[in-house]
Amino acid sequence: MLFAQILVNGVLLGGLYGLMALGMALVWGVLNIVNLAHGALIMLGGYAVYFLFTGAGIDPFAALPMAMTGMFCFGYLLQRLLLNLIVRSALLNTLLISFGLDVVLTYVAQWAFTADFRAINPSYAGANITLAGITVPLARLAAFAVALLLAGLLWLLLNRTRLGRAIRATAQNLVAARLYGVEPRQLYAVTFGIGAALAGAAGGLYGVVAQITPYVGTSLTAKSFVIAIIGGLDNPLSVVLGGLVIGIAESAASLYLGPTYADVISFGLLVLILVARPARSLRMA
Amino acid sequence: MSAEPAASLLEARGLTRRFQGLIAVNDVSFSLRSGEILGLIGPNGAGKTTLVSLISGTLLPDAGALVFDGRRIERLAPFRRAHLGIGRTFQVMKPFPGLSVLENVTVGALFGKDGGERNRARARERARAMLDLTGLAPRLAQRADALGGPDRKRLELAKALAMQPKLLLLDEVMAGLNPVEVDEVVALIKKIREGGVSILVIEHVIKAIRSLSDRVLVLHHGQKIAEGEPASVFRDPRVVEAYLGKRRA
Amino acid sequence: MSSRWGVPLLGAALLGAVPWIGDETMMQFGIYLLLVAALAQAWNILGGFTGYASFGNSTFYGLGVYGTAIAMAQFDLPFWVGLVLGAILAMLCALLIGLPILRLRGPYFAIATLGLNAALSALVANLDIAGRNIGLILPLTRHDVLFYEGLLALLLAATLAVAWISSSRFGMGLIAIREDEDAAAVMGVDTTLYKIAALVLSSLFSALAGGIYAYYVTFIDPASAFDPKLNVQMVIMAVFGGPGTVLGPVVGAFILYSIYQALASSISTAAALFYGVVIILAVIFMPKGLVDLGWGLRRMGPRYLLETVRQYRL
Repeated sequence: MLFAQILVNGVLLGGLYGLMALGMALVWGVLNIVNLAHGALIMLGGYAVYFLFTGAGIDPFAALPMAMTGMFCFGYLLQRLLLNLIVRSALLNTLLISFGLDVVLTYVAQWAFTADFRAINPSYAGANITLAGITVPLARLAAFAVALLLAGLLWLLLNRTRLGRAIRATAQNLVAARLYGVEPRQLYAVTFGIGAALAGAAGGLYGVVAQITPYVGTSLTAKSFVIAIIGGLDNPLSVVLGGLVIGIAESAASLYLGPTYADVISFGLLVLILVARPARSLRMA
Repeated sequence: MSAEPAASLLEARGLTRRFQGLIAVNDVSFSLRSGEILGLIGPNGAGKTTLVSLISGTLLPDAGALVFDGRRIERLAPFRRAHLGIGRTFQVMKPFPGLSVLENVTVGALFGKDGGERNRARARERARAMLDLTGLAPRLAQRADALGGPDRKRLELAKALAMQPKLLLLDEVMAGLNPVEVDEVVALIKKIREGGVSILVIEHVIKAIRSLSDRVLVLHHGQKIAEGEPASVFRDPRVVEAYLGKRRA
Repeated sequence: MSSRWGVPLLGAALLGAVPWIGDETMMQFGIYLLLVAALAQAWNILGGFTGYASFGNSTFYGLGVYGTAIAMAQFDLPFWVGLVLGAILAMLCALLIGLPILRLRGPYFAIATLGLNAALSALVANLDIAGRNIGLILPLTRHDVLFYEGLLALLLAATLAVAWISSSRFGMGLIAIREDEDAAAVMGVDTTLYKIAALVLSSLFSALAGGIYAYYVTFIDPASAFDPKLNVQMVIMAVFGGPGTVLGPVVGAFILYSIYQALASSISTAAALFYGVVIILAVIFMPKGLVDLGWGLRRMGPRYLLETVRQYRL
């Protein structure tokens, strides 16, 4: 029974982890940018939903589309005005510029929102259902469902729409975008915008199940990275699967070995997986 | 395994390499004699570059043996083969983009056969000589990524030559050159052979292969379909059908 | 000595005199500055020359910190024994992980090293001998001059090592690996050996810096010893100054850390913001580092900035 409970906890947590990594995997696979500011985007999404909820009284799940729209615009402009300038630079430079961005966003958040812990607490935050002796927190279940839904939508977008085909073609070859009549600069900005919108959604859900501070970004970036590597950049659904692996491994490790070992497990797993199969191609296309 | 007949510098027996179900090189055996120029031809996707990569060590074979200079080499790391005296060029050229032309070639001289020339000044001198030989001397201070296509081909050649190899593997060094430049390179390759280097040359320019090669090896779908003197090979109906026939169609 | 070495030597002499001409604040500032400069230079050996961007050099720094701390706090051994132990520990670790991890390329290598750092940090936090997550306290000393001069000597040694590398056959092999590893291998560079040698050398200097700094701060814990932010600093300083050059990482460390300190003391709250902005602007306008910027500006003036942006934008 304990094992089943761990499994459920891990799966629910893992779905959200998968959603966090989705945007990073997309941007990495298509734009070849390992975005170290991804966690900061998640954090901003969290604050957006938080203020929509506390300020305007909008239910966090209803606020998600609004936060995603805002984050899409923010991401679009960021890529269009800033990141497009260095997209063809060496990998190290894209790492560094996104780190600089992370520093700036973290600072701005701390200045605008203060360093206080914030949690999004709708009336149903503490509600549970119990099934065959296993407790399932409702908010987590809903967050898990939304994560799956968004991953599915991204899959549909990439595989069933003209825009998605253009994005996938661009992942292989920059010039290919032109064949679809899309200007690469535009396409890059749209792709990064989608990544930011997904990060925003993940942030909103994260705020419902945990607490947000301006500094939460760094560890979420690391986690997203681990999951993107494990899941690969091939397919949104396998990214979610990667999230589940990490979610389950962490919840098992923190129970059996103690919470301090959770990081040993997820990062140890990361190193092992990297070393075991380095040659695999990682692209969401 | 140590005592091999000295007549052949390189001998391949049953070389096979698969890529996820596709057999790129299938049970290929041949020998390359000391001082010989062996032409390697075949349609696109015949496995020519894969074969060169198996010899240079960039890829490892799934089966088969390679004997170079009396030593089994098929499992050796690429750098060890370079130390034994195997140098190659890449069809998809691999210059060191951020380094100058001279530095690019100096790397070949500093490493290469027997681990290369340990002294950097002397290595640079050898590199200069190779640049004179390949006609790149006027560009020696330029960054490699600033070179145009034909000059990049020359750079590939100069880098491999600076290694002072016994066996030189040339993967389409003439592609994209105009007829005058092709003639220059053909003359250069002959000159290199006179210096005692054995050469395996992949080329699409049939005229060049005819005038260069002592013998020709033909690959098709990863298999050897002919081997011998250029005149007889180009008359072989299987070669005409597989290679020339398709081109004419 | 040619004029090429005149300025660096004069700079080193001036730095060496700081404890006798500067005040307490300047010493504190100087010790940390020398620490990050030495770490940036150590990072340069692997990252700058082979292009393998390590985000796990803080692992070796951390092992140096803990080697020294455990020897002194748990076994009452003298400082220098701990320093050597820490260095050996770090080099062993580099040797051990080098083979599997240096097979990874690009971002995979970067992240594997980052993961290693996190895993080691968590592991140390569970070891009794390392004081678990509480940390260790070293015997207190007031030899700030010694720490300062020690770190300066370390920085000089690391810089001399890099100067030797950049003019040696070994260094040419490392650069060839950075430019195109496959091509380097078929040209006869023993890429595995060279990469591991660079990693071990890099780990040695990182660990020595960690050991000295541990004795200086006297209190250490896993979070500060294996701090990934420290590693990011090394990368930024080396890249800002010019990776793969002899003096670039040192100059980068001096400039960036000075800017940061100046900002922190005048407009303390916004220092981080400006730091981030400086990094972003540096990547856009001088992606090849300060050394290349200086060279480019002299050769083609402000047009260099425009050309640089044009080269890398979409």
